Amino acid sequence: MFNKRLLTVFLITAIVFGAFGALALRPAAVVAQDSCPTQKDSYVIGFANLTEDIDFTKLVREGMVSAAEAAGNVELILADNKLDGATALSNTENFITQGVDGIVHFQTDAAFGNVIMARSRAEGIPVIAIDIPMPGATFFGADNYYAGQLAGEALAAWVNENWGGQADAMLVLELPQSGPVPAARMQGMLESYQANVQTPVAEDQIYRLDSKNTQEESFRVVSDTLPAIPEDSKIVAITINDGTALGVIAAAEAAGRAENIIVVGQNADTSGQEEMIKPNSRYLGATAYFPEKYGDKIIPAMIDILECRPVPPSIFVDHIFISKDNVCDFYPDNWPEFCGGAEATPESGG
Amino acid sequence: MNTRRRWLERGLRSTDVQEVLALVIMLVLIMLLMSQASNLFLTPRNLTNLLMDTTTVGIIAVFSTMLMISRGLDLSVAAAAAFCGILIGRMQETNGLWAGAVVAIGAGGLIGLINGFLVTYVGINPLITTLGMLSMLRGLAFVLSDGLTIPVFDLTGQRMDEYLAFAQLAEGRAAGIPYPILIMLGLFLIGLIVLRSTSYGRALYAIGGNEEASVLAGLSVKRYRMTAYILSGISAALAGILLTARLYAADPRAAPNIELTVITAVVLGGTSLSGGQGNLFGTLLGVLIIGALLNGLKLQSVSTEMQNIAQGLVLMLAVAIDQVRQGRVMFGLGTLRRWVQRKSTG
Repeated sequence: MFNKRLLTVFLITAIVFGAFGALALRPAAVVAQDSCPTQKDSYVIGFANLTEDIDFTKLVREGMVSAAEAAGNVELILADNKLDGATALSNTENFITQGVDGIVHFQTDAAFGNVIMARSRAEGIPVIAIDIPMPGATFFGADNYYAGQLAGEALAAWVNENWGGQADAMLVLELPQSGPVPAARMQGMLESYQANVQTPVAEDQIYRLDSKNTQEESFRVVSDTLPAIPEDSKIVAITINDGTALGVIAAAEAAGRAENIIVVGQNADTSGQEEMIKPNSRYLGATAYFPEKYGDKIIPAMIDILECRPVPPSIFVDHIFISKDNVCDFYPDNWPEFCGGAEATPESGG
Repeated sequence: MNTRRRWLERGLRSTDVQEVLALVIMLVLIMLLMSQASNLFLTPRNLTNLLMDTTTVGIIAVFSTMLMISRGLDLSVAAAAAFCGILIGRMQETNGLWAGAVVAIGAGGLIGLINGFLVTYVGINPLITTLGMLSMLRGLAFVLSDGLTIPVFDLTGQRMDEYLAFAQLAEGRAAGIPYPILIMLGLFLIGLIVLRSTSYGRALYAIGGNEEASVLAGLSVKRYRMTAYILSGISAALAGILLTARLYAADPRAAPNIELTVITAVVLGGTSLSGGQGNLFGTLLGVLIIGALLNGLKLQSVSTEMQNIAQGLVLMLAVAIDQVRQGRVMFGLGTLRRWVQRKSTG
C-alpha cells in the first residue's frame, strides 16, 4: 500500500516535472531559433579576392575553396576585386543579388570600406575583411607588428650567437608608399632587433631605403648604399618581403660582401625558402603568413557568425618564423631533396 | 503603303541599320544565354547592377565615339577620370566638394585642350600624345594623393548636407533608376541629336571621312577636332566625379584600363578606327554587350582570366568587323570566295 502511494506520488511528481520541463524547454528552443535568424543547414558565402595576379592571393583563394569544401555545408561564390574599389563595390552588389549569407572581402583600401559595408549592412549580411579593416566587419589578417617582431628576434639571436652580439650597420628595405601596414612590419623588426641584440646598431648607421617592393629596386638601392659602409662592417638587413631580401643578397654578392651580411624578411614564399636552404645562405629566414591557411580560420569564423556564436572582432594569422631549420616542418613537399636529409650549413642557426 | 514599304526596305538596306540590328541580335543572344545560365541575370536588381557597372565606360564612350568619328583617339580618359577624382578629394576640405567638382570639369576640359592642341596644331600622333598624357595624369594623381586613396568624408561634421548631396549624384534615383544610369542615357541621347542633327555632328563625320576635302570645303578641321578632344576630357572628368561620389573616395588607381573597354565598345558599336563612320546607338549597344557579357560571367563565378579572354575576344571581333567594313581583309575573303567557286564549279 505504502509502495503504491509512493509510486503514485513519484509518478505525479515525474509528470508535473516533465510537463514543466517541456514547457520550460519549448520556449527556450523557440527563443534560440529566433535569436539566430541567420542559422541554416547550409550557407552561401561570397569571397572576393584582392586580385588573381599574384601568388599570395591565389594561395588565399585556394585555401578558401579547400576550407569551404571541408566544411561540407558551404557553397563558395568567387569574385575578383582586381585591386579596384569600384570592382569591389560591384562584387558586393553581385553577392547581394546572388543571395549570399556572408561575404569575405579581400579588397584594396580601407577608404572603400564605408560604402561596401553600407551595402552589406543594409541587407544584414555579415562581412569578414581580410587584411584591410572595414567598419563593422570582423577583421582577419596579419599581425604585422608581431610578424616583424619574430623576424627581428631571430636576427638578433643569430647576431648574438655568430657575431658576438654586434652588427655595425643596418639596412632597412621598406615600402613607404604603402602606408602603415608594411610600416608596422618594419617597425616590429627594427624595434625587436634593437631590443634583443646585445649591442644595438647606432642610429646613424641605420640606412632606410625605399625598396619599391621589387627585387630590382632593392638590388639598385643597396648597391648604391654599400660603398658608404666601411668594407669589413658586419651588416644586418631587414626587408619588407622575400623579393626585396633577394635583391639585398644579390647586391651584397655583387659587391663581394656577402659574408658580412645577414638578412631577414617577410612572407617566406617559395623563392625565399629556396634561398634560405642554400648552403651558406645569407638569408636567415622570413616570417610566414600562411595564406593557404587563411580559409581554415575564415570559413569556420563565418559559420560561427552566421550561427550566432561569439567571434572576436579581430582574428590574426598564426605567424611563424621560417628558417632552414624548420622549413621542412611546414613545407616538406616544396623541398623533398633538402628535407630528405640535407647537410647543415657551416654557420648553424643561420 | 508602297512608299512605306520602300522606305522600310531602304532603311533595312542601310549599313548603319544593318549593323545596329546585328548588335541588337548579339545583345539579345548574350542576354538569353546568360539568363539560361543564371536565373538571377534578368532580375531588376541585377540589371541595375549591370547598368551601374557600365556607366563609367558609357559616359566616356559617348564622347570617344564623337572623337573617333573625327579620326581622333584618346587613351588618357581613365587616367583623367582618376586625376579629376583626386582633385575633388584634395579640394573637399578647403573649397568644398562642389567647387572641387567644377574644378574637375575644368581640368578635364583643359586636359582635352592640351591633347587636342598637341594632336591638331603640333601634329603629334594621337596615340603617342594621349599615352603620354595618361602616364602624366596617373603620376600627378599619385603625387597629389601621396599614392593613397582619399576618403570623401566630412571629418568636421559641419558640412553633412553637402556630402550627402554629393553622394546623391551616385546614390540618388528617379523613377527607381539610379542617377548615373540616367546621366549616361541622357548623354547618349544628346550625343545622338548632336551627331545626327547639328552642323557640328556632320562636320565630325566629314573631317573623319576625308580631312582634305573638309579643309577644301572650308571646315575648320582643327577647331572641330580640338572641340572633340575637349569634350572627351570633360566626359572623363564627369565619369571621375560620379565614381568618386559612388565610392565615397578618390583613388589614384581608379578606372584601371577602362580606356581599352571604351575603345572596344566604340569599335564594336560600328565606329571606325579610321574615322568618318559610326553611330552612338551602336556604341550604346557595344557598351551593353560588354557589360552583359562581364556581368553574366561574374554571376557564373567565371575566373578573371576567362573574363579577360572573353573581353579580348570581343575587342578582336570588333576590330575584325571594322577591318571587314573597311575592306581591308578582302584578300582573305576573296581567297575564300575563289576557293568556294572553284569547288562548286569543278
